[in-house]
Amino acid sequence: MLVLSRRTNESIIVNGNITITVLEIRGDHIRIGIDAPREISVHREEIHAELARANKAATGSRAADVARLPRPGV
Amino acid sequence: MSVLVRSERFGDVECDDAATVVFPDGLLGFKEEREFVVMPADPEGIYSWLQSTRTPSLAFLTTSPTCFFADYAVEIDDAEVAEIEILDESEAMVLAIVTIAEDRATANLLGPIVVNTRTRRARQVVLADSTWSTKELLGEF
Repeated sequence: MLVLSRRTNESIIVNGNITITVLEIRGDHIRIGIDAPREISVHREEIHAELARANKAATGSRAADVARLPRPGV
Repeated sequence: MSVLVRSERFGDVECDDAATVVFPDGLLGFKEEREFVVMPADPEGIYSWLQSTRTPSLAFLTTSPTCFFADYAVEIDDAEVAEIEILDESEAMVLAIVTIAEDRATANLLGPIVVNTRTRRARQVVLADSTWSTKELLGEF
């Protein structure tokens, strides 16, 4: 991992087209601005972790379960 | 053309090529799982299975979210659309992964699967700003 030190309002440029700026530091709370082309997707790590967990929790469905599943409007 | 898919739940299944969907980035938590086949799960067509072509034990039950949640809409970033080459929303099919617990079934509406029905490429998208959760109730048993 590349580790860089930055102060408030200093930035890092990734790949020439993504700018990550430290906007504010207050205790252990840091606000970060990300300026990236629209085709670059940016998400909080927690949401990826949550979805990975949800996917893992969904792998246990059995073929026999389908019969008792809810039907819309019932 | 058809492909033979080995499934722990269903045995060896002959699937039409058109039933295959490719996730270029895999599924979240399952990065290596890039190819699945879509198999109907019930005669009414409400549920379908996404069976991995690589891992016989891996299959997800899915449903069409709008069957249950009429106001459900998926707004996708350009980034995500470009990945699966969707040119028009009519090409997109949306599926939600169903989780079955002891007493209830829920659908993951925070991370729906969007399939390009033309190219058969698919992606699990993240609806970061939505209020939907990974466990929206479909019904209790």
